Amino acid sequence: MSAQLAFASIGELAGMLRGGEISASSLVQCYADRISTLNATSKAFISLDIERARAKAETLAIDSTDSLLKGIPYACKDLFDVKGMVTSGGSRVLADNVAQHDADVISRMDQAGAIFIGKNNLHEFAYGATGENALHGTAPNPYDQSRLAGGSSSGSAAAVGYGLCAAALGTDTGGSVRAPAALCGLVGFKPTFGRISTEGVIPYSWSLDHVGTLTRNAADTALLFNTLASNVQTPAATKLEALRIGIPEGFFFERADTEILDSIDGLMSFLSAAGAKLIPVTMPSMEHSRTVSLTVQMPEALSYHNRYLEQRGDLYSQDFRAGLALGQCLLAEQYIRAKRFIESYRRDMDRVFNGIDILLTPATPAIAPKTGTVEVTIDGQAEPVGNAITRYTSFFNMTGHPAITLPCGMHSEGLPITAQLVGRHYGDEQLIAAATLIESSYGFKLPLPVIN
Amino acid sequence: MKRLQQQTLLGIRDQFGSYAWDDAEISELVDPQLGIITGFQELLDQLELLRKVDLGSIPPAADISDK
Repeated sequence: MSAQLAFASIGELAGMLRGGEISASSLVQCYADRISTLNATSKAFISLDIERARAKAETLAIDSTDSLLKGIPYACKDLFDVKGMVTSGGSRVLADNVAQHDADVISRMDQAGAIFIGKNNLHEFAYGATGENALHGTAPNPYDQSRLAGGSSSGSAAAVGYGLCAAALGTDTGGSVRAPAALCGLVGFKPTFGRISTEGVIPYSWSLDHVGTLTRNAADTALLFNTLASNVQTPAATKLEALRIGIPEGFFFERADTEILDSIDGLMSFLSAAGAKLIPVTMPSMEHSRTVSLTVQMPEALSYHNRYLEQRGDLYSQDFRAGLALGQCLLAEQYIRAKRFIESYRRDMDRVFNGIDILLTPATPAIAPKTGTVEVTIDGQAEPVGNAITRYTSFFNMTGHPAITLPCGMHSEGLPITAQLVGRHYGDEQLIAAATLIESSYGFKLPLPVIN
Repeated sequence: MKRLQQQTLLGIRDQFGSYAWDDAEISELVDPQLGIITGFQELLDQLELLRKVDLGSIPPAADISDK
């Protein structure tokens, strides 16, 4: 399979399928061959369903009126139910958990004609941003295999990043789609909270979980969103000159790699020169946002996993058990207070969006860390690696605003640099349209990873 | 606020209908040695600061409506 095909976008593949240059069956076989060669390296997939994919591909007749997803092979994080397959959460705890039904999003992809090929590796039960998994191994970054792909949707990012499928589904509770997408040079998207169904997806934290997508470009994100969400509106036509882009002061531009800040500056300069209005905005205080998020996450995670602890508690990894134990020791009023802070953040952010269309930030303060890194030090200040990876993403899981990450530069160490755009509640369509416009106008082309 | 003591968490475990965490896990929360949970005391200190913030009548966050 040529690298050109392996790294083609959904839009490009759809054109080839319609033009008869390739068939769905040959596309499935191409990815299957590539997976058999590269999965041991990428650790992207923990289960495969190639036979069913082949069977579906053989029945497809594609014409110009079909969804552009028809015949497109995709994968999902192993938190999503796919009928007849194990949904393990990347854990020994659910090694025998065979799904009786498809998750809502899997049904929607199936109805659109997309071809499911397998399930992706992850940080156990989505607990952690490094993607480290003792059972299945840690997915490495396609641009540097000594570094992390990031997590918790680590295998989903690796699957797309290594050219093993055209797109993947993940979940994002604090940045678990956007952060690995950013570190691997992909487009990661999470919708407005609740806009894409989480039915049939193993929860981590109900108040913060979002189903999201990992793709090669923003146009592909639109194709997936149109299939996965309900009541999708056609976004109003927009031009760069009409965009009002909020630039947050402080937090999002502090303690970050200088090359990342330079790349974001470069993007801002381009947008300003193209006529977009860059408007400084004052964000709510982020000082306690990680505390608020953790205080909601851990009791919710414990509440779900309590059903398995008595019988299978010894099968959990030590770090996840420690997190669950912490969740046991927080007070109910502390949990409620944290959720009141979240409501306060949402109200403050709605005021921020009164004068802007989208917000622009870096996606991460650092490039992909080396595998095994415990702390990331920037400007002389050390920070746990998981906190650093999600520092700029987790706030928007609490506020529930849609957010998308776009590659915008290449670091001198050979790793992608990525921006994050955030939209209004229920402004998913406009956000993706703006991202598509910025992506095509800016014209940044990330080099393909060199994969041995 | 006084510093967290292991006996407090053992009491929660034994008297509050909690899952039966190992003594070592409870100990790790109070006096981290393995680096698995490094910040529970810090989290409690932060929560104490949040407790002193007057949130007025703001309710807990719920679903987000399409306005």
